[in-house]
Amino acid sequence: MTRRLRLWVLTAGLLATAALYVAACTDLPAFGGSWHPYGDRAVRAALQQHTANAVSSVNFDQRAFDTLGEETVLFSSVLGTVVLLRRTRGEKRVAPGPAEVPAALRRYGLLVLPVTLLIGLYVIAHGQLSPGGGFQGGVVVATSLHLLYIAVDYKALERIRPLGLFELADGTGEAAYILLGAAGLIAGSAYLANTLPLGTFNTLSSGGTVPLLNAAVGVEVTSAVVVLLAHFLGQALEIESEDGAKDGGREA
Amino acid sequence: MDRLLPLIVVVPLLGAAVLVAAGRHVPRPVAEAVAGLAAAASAALAAAALAGPPEVSWVGAWRPQDGHSVGIVLVGDRIGLGLAALTSLLVVAVLAYSWRYFDEPPHGHGGAFPALVLLFQGGMCGFALTGDLFDAFVFFELMGVVGYALTGYRVEEARPVQGALVFGFVNSLGGYATLLGIGLLYARTGELGMAQVGRELDQAADAAGHGADALVVAAFVLVLTGLLVKAAAVPFHFWLPDAHAVAPTPVCMLLSGVMVEMGGYGAARVWTTVFGGPGGVPAAGARRTLLVLGVGSALVGALMCWQQRHVKRLLAFSTVAHTGLFLTGIALLTPHGVAGTALYVLGHAGAKAALFACTGILLDRHGSVDECELHGKGRGIPFTGLLFAAGGLALAGLPPFGTSLGKALVEERSPWLPALFVLVSAVTGGAVLRVAARVFLGAGQAGREDDEGPETTGGEEEPETGRRVRRPPVPMVTVAALLLAGALAVGTVPALTGAVSAAAEAFTDHAGYAAAVLDGRPAGRPEGPYDWWTWTGAGLGLLSAALAVALAARSVGLESRAVPWSAPLRRLHSGHVGDYVAWTVAGIGLVSLLALW
Repeated sequence: MTRRLRLWVLTAGLLATAALYVAACTDLPAFGGSWHPYGDRAVRAALQQHTANAVSSVNFDQRAFDTLGEETVLFSSVLGTVVLLRRTRGEKRVAPGPAEVPAALRRYGLLVLPVTLLIGLYVIAHGQLSPGGGFQGGVVVATSLHLLYIAVDYKALERIRPLGLFELADGTGEAAYILLGAAGLIAGSAYLANTLPLGTFNTLSSGGTVPLLNAAVGVEVTSAVVVLLAHFLGQALEIESEDGAKDGGREA
Repeated sequence: MDRLLPLIVVVPLLGAAVLVAAGRHVPRPVAEAVAGLAAAASAALAAAALAGPPEVSWVGAWRPQDGHSVGIVLVGDRIGLGLAALTSLLVVAVLAYSWRYFDEPPHGHGGAFPALVLLFQGGMCGFALTGDLFDAFVFFELMGVVGYALTGYRVEEARPVQGALVFGFVNSLGGYATLLGIGLLYARTGELGMAQVGRELDQAADAAGHGADALVVAAFVLVLTGLLVKAAAVPFHFWLPDAHAVAPTPVCMLLSGVMVEMGGYGAARVWTTVFGGPGGVPAAGARRTLLVLGVGSALVGALMCWQQRHVKRLLAFSTVAHTGLFLTGIALLTPHGVAGTALYVLGHAGAKAALFACTGILLDRHGSVDECELHGKGRGIPFTGLLFAAGGLALAGLPPFGTSLGKALVEERSPWLPALFVLVSAVTGGAVLRVAARVFLGAGQAGREDDEGPETTGGEEEPETGRRVRRPPVPMVTVAALLLAGALAVGTVPALTGAVSAAAEAFTDHAGYAAAVLDGRPAGRPEGPYDWWTWTGAGLGLLSAALAVALAARSVGLESRAVPWSAPLRRLHSGHVGDYVAWTVAGIGLVSLLALW
């Protein structure tokens, strides 16, 4: 298609879609109303399960099967990336040299790293109580490790990031979630049923299986992001085509 | 048994997790054994569930109270379970087929390919079993993500990367549309479960005294868009030939065999459960939408299929054509239409996967999937040729293949349907038979390079076994033969047709589904009398097969396959991501027009 024709087709489609969506939106419930059928039910269920953070109760208890699917989407994306960014025939691995980092950046990075790590772990651990949880905290923890790449260099990052171990943790986090779900079956209830003692409302050990599933997701997300970034960084910094050209040297 | 339904989905996922966790230390045969075991376990669970009465499973034990639940339900109805069983069986076949495949797995990730296949299986089984719209979207995305990675597996070459990219763009766009639609339904009803949303819509319509308003129609169009993209219905189909032609052969078997059909299944499921009641969309609008897109896909797919010389691309377009026929069958909105389509899908999965399997053998033997280049080269492997031709006849609708029975059951429903079904079956089957005659018998001319227009050739492809094989590996041939035997069994075992017919009755029952899921009233029906082979059906099958043979015989000596007046249509399949995105967005407009009219 010519560029002009493509734009016409696209414009016609966009206009029709916009008209459809705008018409639909005029039929939505009015803004600011007090009618929240699912929200009401979900909060009631969260309180009944002694889970102070209702969002976590939805994610790891009421709709825990969705979260298994979402965790698996991330898990699959990382595995897919590992496969697609692998070193292929005609490519070799070179060791990147040390990098010059301004002293201020180095000091700042090294100062912030432990703080970020701690915040990430806190966010994972308190998912059942306050906003946050395994997905959010996992990304923060993974980010904290990569501050070392910014503050020092790639070699330093590689030293604190044994990739094999993180791949093991990636699979283990995913497997742990699935097996915790099976524990509900073994306990005589349904898959992913919250069968553990619910504990005292608003304490760290409340919520039954919620903190455990949350931790499994935290482990999986942390390692998944680390493995993901490792392969992108490796592709950009380490992998060269045989004739010495950096990534992209393969024929397009 | 109902508590075990989720295991059908999670057992393959667990297998994948173990393969990734232990990937560095596990030798390849062990990794493949683990994968095969996980896939087979899931298949066995699905088969066991099929043997019992239909049941629903509330994950996390969040059973409904007064018809409301905060949880997610998996529904073990026969059609969904049957699709999950088909998926799992096909995955086992694919793992057996790829036993000698990919001699060079990614360094340190020997289990990466089987792990991806298991994740694909988990995604498809989850999609087939879930009774929750948002959960269906999650598994839709899972299928997609794994599909993109598997399509681009051979990153050394440019075409797989392009195919995966196109697949990713168009499917993601469809996914966003579906999510928007789900959001609208959630805003209206405060529910995400299909049965609950359907029931709330009906009650709202009852209270308001009128049927669907703009919101319901828009939700229908948007939710349907993603599913039609997956089903590769015209004009959402452009990604399919680009992706299927370049994906590794075992992946093509899964993509064409079940994944595309999942889109049609999703469309039918959402339509009957959510929009099928008095509060949903008018049946006429929904039927028109699926019928127009189905017939369009069938014709475009057949026309494009005939003109290909790249054998995998030819098979991909035949999938577009046959999915069009499936949508046409679903559009009838009757138990007969659904039963016929279900049998057609079963037979097609076996036949199409077997055809891809045979093509893979040619690829590994000659490093080419080009009809002209391969001319006469298949003479040394007559058994593979026989299987390939049998697959072509199955596509053409030769009785007693399952494809033929399904086709017969659907086309008897309307006076003009036989013409469409016979034409499309004959053209797609004829194209395959033409390839069979030229490659395995050496019939006709070697063919010359066509001058007119750009054309995708299938030469200079990398064999997927690492190096070329001389004789066809035993597992590959065995898998192809078994798949064809399965396609044959679908058409010859009367009990299967009886079970499918009863399942289709329950599948199309809007109120019955909601009662089974929300009120715990079992939806199982005793098997009543059902249609099987009739003289007309078998006669039409023989006719389309004879036409296919005639078409193949006539064209085998011709130098060019091109149909001159279809050049503009061929140019539309440009490989340009922007074109495909534009058509997808325009497709949303087209579906809205058809649904509203």
